Order: sequence, then C-alpha cells, then structure tokens
Amino acid sequence: MTVYNIYIFNCDGQCIYYWQWERSGDSNVSQVEEFKLMYGMIFSIKSLINRLSPIDVDNQFGSFATNKNRLHFYETQSKLKFILNTDLQADTGKVHEILKEIYTGYYVQYVVKNPFCDIKGVSIESSLFTKKLNCFISSLSIA
Amino acid sequence: MARLKASYSEAFTKKVGTELFLLTYGSLVAQLIQDYEDNDEINTQLDKMGYNIGLRLADDFLARYPQTKCVEFRETADVIAKFGFKNYLGFVPVVDKWNPSDRSCSLFFDHNPLAEFVELPPEHASLWYANILCGVLRGALEVVHLEVEVKFLQDVLRGDDKTELYIRFIRKIEDTVPPGED
Amino acid sequence: MTILALYVINRAGSLIFDHDFSPSNMGVEVTFTYPFEIILKEEPNGLVVSFGCRDGIKIGHVLVSINGVPVSGCHMSDGGDVREFLSRPENYPVSVRFSKLKPNVNERIMLSSMFNTIYHMASQLSPEKKSTGIQEMETSAFTLHCLQTLSGLKFIYLSEPKTQGVDVLLKKTYELYVDFALKNPFYNLEMPVRCELFDKNLMLLIEQSEKVISGNF
Repeated sequence: MTVYNIYIFNCDGQCIYYWQWERSGDSNVSQVEEFKLMYGMIFSIKSLINRLSPIDVDNQFGSFATNKNRLHFYETQSKLKFILNTDLQADTGKVHEILKEIYTGYYVQYVVKNPFCDIKGVSIESSLFTKKLNCFISSLSIA
Repeated sequence: MARLKASYSEAFTKKVGTELFLLTYGSLVAQLIQDYEDNDEINTQLDKMGYNIGLRLADDFLARYPQTKCVEFRETADVIAKFGFKNYLGFVPVVDKWNPSDRSCSLFFDHNPLAEFVELPPEHASLWYANILCGVLRGALEVVHLEVEVKFLQDVLRGDDKTELYIRFIRKIEDTVPPGED
Repeated sequence: MTILALYVINRAGSLIFDHDFSPSNMGVEVTFTYPFEIILKEEPNGLVVSFGCRDGIKIGHVLVSINGVPVSGCHMSDGGDVREFLSRPENYPVSVRFSKLKPNVNERIMLSSMFNTIYHMASQLSPEKKSTGIQEMETSAFTLHCLQTLSGLKFIYLSEPKTQGVDVLLKKTYELYVDFALKNPFYNLEMPVRCELFDKNLMLLIEQSEKVISGNF
C-alpha cells in the first residue's frame, strides 16, 4: 500500500498537521492555500452528501477515489478531521481503522497527553508525534 | 498493527495510586488559597484549570470508549455518569432533577471523591473544593460541540447531605464554516 | 441493492437532467406535551432538528406540519411564527410531523454545481499528477458513481452502499443520452434534457439493471 500524505484539521478548520511520504502531483498553490482548499473541499462534500442523501440524515463521508488515488476521511466526535491519501488498492475498511489508530494511538497519546503541545494551537509541534507516526506508516507499506 | 494495539492498551491499564492524586490535588488547592485568598477567585481558577483538562480529556475519552454520537441531552448526561465518572473517578453518580424540557439536570454523589480527607477551614466555607470538575465537564463537552453551564449546588464538605453538580445545556455549537463561505 | 438517483451535469456545471428513484419518505408524527424538548435551528428550508432526538425524530429532520397543517419555513399557515406557537403552553398537546426533505429543484441545481467544483478540487489536490476528479465516493448512506465523458459531461448515479456494476450502467446511460437526446434534432445542446423517449428508455434500463444487480447477490 502506498501512502501519499496526511492532513489533520482541528475543529476550527485549521490544518494542524501535514506530512507527505510520496507525492508527485502539485496543487499549484502555496501550502497555506492548499490547506484552505482541502478544508473547503471536505466541508463542501459534507454538506453535499447530507443534502443528497435520500434516506439517512446523519450521513458520514468515508472516502472518494479519482483514477489515481483514494482520499480517506475520518472525523472524530471532537470534530478533528484526519485525511489520508493512498493508492487505489488500499482497502477502505482497513484504512478507516488506520485513521482511527492514528487518532487514538498517536494523536491522543503524543499530542493530547503532552502538556507542552498546545491543542488549541495552530499546528502540532511535536517531533515525537512525527517520529512515531512515521514508524507506523512505514510499517504499513511493508505489509 | 496487532502488536501496536497490544502495547497501547497496556499503557491504558497502568494506574496511578489514589493517594498521590489526592495529595496532588489537595496541595494544588492549598496553594491557590495562599495565592488568591478570595474564595470566588479560587473557584474561578479551579474551573479554568479544569476547563483546560477537559479540552484534552475529551479526546482521551473518545479514543478509549468509542461512542456513537449523543442525539439528546439525557443520553449525554448518561454517558457522563456511566462512562466518564465511572472510568476517571471510579464511581457512578445519580443523574436526577431533570427540568421538564430536559435541558438541565443534576449529578448527585454521596461523597466527594476528591475530598476524602478534607475539612474545609471556616474562612473558606464558600469554596467549592472540587470545582475543577465543573471546568472539566465544561471543557470536555465543548469539544463535542455542546455549550453547557456547570456548577456545584451542594457539597458534603459544606455540611450538605449530598454533593450536587448541576449541568445546564445552553446550545449546540455548529461546525465552523471555511472563511469566505456562509 | 438499489439505484437511488441520477444526475447529469453539463460542461459548465449546470444540471441538465435528474431523476430520483428512491421511495418518498412520510416522516414521523409525534404528539408533544409542554414543554417542547427538541432544539430547532433555522435553515433555508425550514426549522431543522439540531439536538434532542426522540421517537424516531432525527437530527437534520425538518418540521413539516403542526396538527396536520403544513408549515412553510418558520411560519404557520396563518402566518404566525412556529417557534412562538410552540413556546405557548396553551397550544399543547400538539402533534408535530418531522421529515427528511428531499432537495427541491433549486437545491438540486445548486448541489450539481457544488459537485462540479468539488470534482475539480479533488483533481487539483490529488497527490499524483494528471489525476481525474472524483469517480467514486463512499458515504454511510450511499455510494456516488461519476462518469465524466471526454466531452465534459458528468453522469452521476447514487446507489446504496456497495452496489456493484454501476460503471456499466453509467456507460449505458451515456449511450441512451447520445441516442435519445443528442440525436434528437429538437434537443438544444447543453440545455435540460426533456425527451420522453430518453425518460422511457432510462426507466427500462434501470429496471433491467436492478434485476441484474440483485441477481448477482
């Protein structure tokens, strides 16, 4: 499985974390603009699918695929948004578990429980988080 | 991944002794009394600290006890009592005194877990010793987008029969809209 | 396993055809005593439940009628404000109907252009070069399948989650469009498709594919 990149947005729509492992495409805008664009897209998708849904009212966005990659989305009840881009072969159910694991096993452990990480801040400043996350992601690509 | 999960749950089961925790909290309140003197100010400070704890604790709670989203306030109060209090403080308070429109209720406990060995000095009779809990609940519920008012109405330390923690639902906070959209 | 809806969007992102295949929803009617516990918020399409669910009323449902009389937006049939009516104890017990509203024409047009924008954002934000936009999207309530033709048209099917074979259906629908709209001399390009033959053949196609799809399972 190829993992391209990860975005984490806080409840205010601020991109608090970005990391990339593989990436060839370029969005042609600055990183700040790209984060805004990404949040805007996710926000639009959420309101689109809630209105489109003929049955369910609380409709959850899971993932979408282009012809090159799949974007996976997981939102916690605290409105943190985790976005992971993978190749098309990745199993959506498995990646959903991986995103949950990033939240419970990495974000909560190394950011929330680190008293020096400002959780209301604009970005996650923790090299430990990055290090652990990198180990985790690289263990996935071997499997 | 299985290996990682195992080590993760192991980390959860580690417990810190109650005594150290009670002493830490006790000396914290004692220090505040020295620094501020005014009881209302101490209550505010405790609430503020609790709020900052709550903001973090909420994610820890959600990560540990995956819950479906609460759709009404009675359910929220139930989760707070049966999971929140149970797992972080080791007892389940009684949820009661609902107002007719289900917007507010009280949590009752027979004893105050933070205050097992505490006697309030007479000059600090208007101090809510465990006021940090108000802040914790307020912060944690804010994370799940519920704005609430939390306060103590009774405390065994003040000679009341029970300790009563009052929670009132104010509003649901809506999703943040990206700048430029409305 | 069912097809829920079809949307066709032209190059400019305007909706030129849509059809809803899902059954209509009557919602739930509940009798309330004072005070009214459900928290409503005002939205363009009416009063929407935001918190305090009970008896099958869910977050996102719209208040559609009071004591059997339909309300329009936040106003009662006599022009009074719904929330004010619900705040007065003398009006109780009151019977209120809530329902999930389907998007109306204007909303569907708006949602189509919104999807068009999202489609392009997805292509721009892809970590790979020369990526297309969204071809498939999974949500808890439905899966969206999108075929963008080389001419820039978008055919979009909403199906129940995990429905297979929708890509074939998309191609066939494109063929139908070419046959019964494009080849119809009275059809204006880029304009809404109003051709009876197209409708008829589409229904046939959906009926057939439902059989095939359910036959596979």
